[in-house]
Amino acid sequence: MKLGVFLSEYRTGADVLDRLTADKLGIIFVGNGVYNAAVKENGKASSVLEKKASFYVLAEDLESRGFTAANVDSRVKLVTYGDVVDLIFNDYEKTIWI
Amino acid sequence: MGKLTIGCFSSLVGSLSLDFSVKLSEAAIQKGHTVDLWVSGNATMVSKKGQKAFKDYSFLAKKIQELVAAGNLKVTACEACAEARGYHKEDTMEGVKRFSMDWYLASSFTADRLLHIGGD
Amino acid sequence: MATKKLGFVIRTMPYKIEGSRLGMTHAISSQTVEIYLEDGDMVEPVVCFIGDGVLNCLKNQQAMKHYAITSLEQHIKNSLLLDLNVLICKEDIDKLGIKEDALIMDAEDIGGETNAKVVPYSEIQKAMESVDHLLFC
Repeated sequence: MKLGVFLSEYRTGADVLDRLTADKLGIIFVGNGVYNAAVKENGKASSVLEKKASFYVLAEDLESRGFTAANVDSRVKLVTYGDVVDLIFNDYEKTIWI
Repeated sequence: MGKLTIGCFSSLVGSLSLDFSVKLSEAAIQKGHTVDLWVSGNATMVSKKGQKAFKDYSFLAKKIQELVAAGNLKVTACEACAEARGYHKEDTMEGVKRFSMDWYLASSFTADRLLHIGGD
Repeated sequence: MATKKLGFVIRTMPYKIEGSRLGMTHAISSQTVEIYLEDGDMVEPVVCFIGDGVLNCLKNQQAMKHYAITSLEQHIKNSLLLDLNVLICKEDIDKLGIKEDALIMDAEDIGGETNAKVVPYSEIQKAMESVDHLLFC
């Protein structure tokens, strides 16, 4: 399956992601999930980014929390709401929110 | 163009998940899609009329009414969830419908994509 | 005539937040959805409990006694009475030290004939792949 995961949590949700498998997996960081894209806890990037997936972060939610593109891990692409719509309709057959 | 059904169960105030739902709805409509927004649980309160804007609280009523009035967005609230919160039919925002939970499943039947945002 | 499959994946605990309760009540509402659909069209839910969500499946919940609200136990029994497919993750009950005999596996006391199934996560993954839409609760 082609699965888009909206990750809205920080520190939690990894239990779901660890086990999920998909032929094509996209992880879209939204809400507090954006901390996975920008925070380096104890100098280390979020373990979520080790997952074999394409990563996106919602720019509005990132900026709302005091970050800029410069803070974002190089594996993560900044997206707008319009881009998210295109991801939902064009890239993934199913979407989940965790 | 497709149909997106969003089910949101999160609080009007605090979670910002309803804000996400409304912004995503608007973006989808701008791209020519149609959107059904089902609000259930604590999210039901977003469809109650008479909300006032305060800068410490999410205020989505105006945007929802604009999108509903322009077409391509249907907002439907869970009737039981509303009644349980003391929000009665006459309190419903103009343009919003109230139905039982099976409406959401029926919307999912014809949806090309579904995003379910769970509750708090 | 068509059938759309919905996968309700319940990962939250039974009380304090409403997620699992609303997941169950929406899944159960599949029994009346036909009023909105064309003749022969159906919505078929599968309910999967994973992670902390397996705690919804414990027997002897006393929510009605103490809070005057329907327990998640009763909702699970109602879903079995209506022949919904209910899957409980084996790895997660093992992780939480829960034995199968502590789980709601049937609704015989209210006339149900369908049983819940404790299955490995791989079966839940297959169920998620088989549905049209996923609803994580």
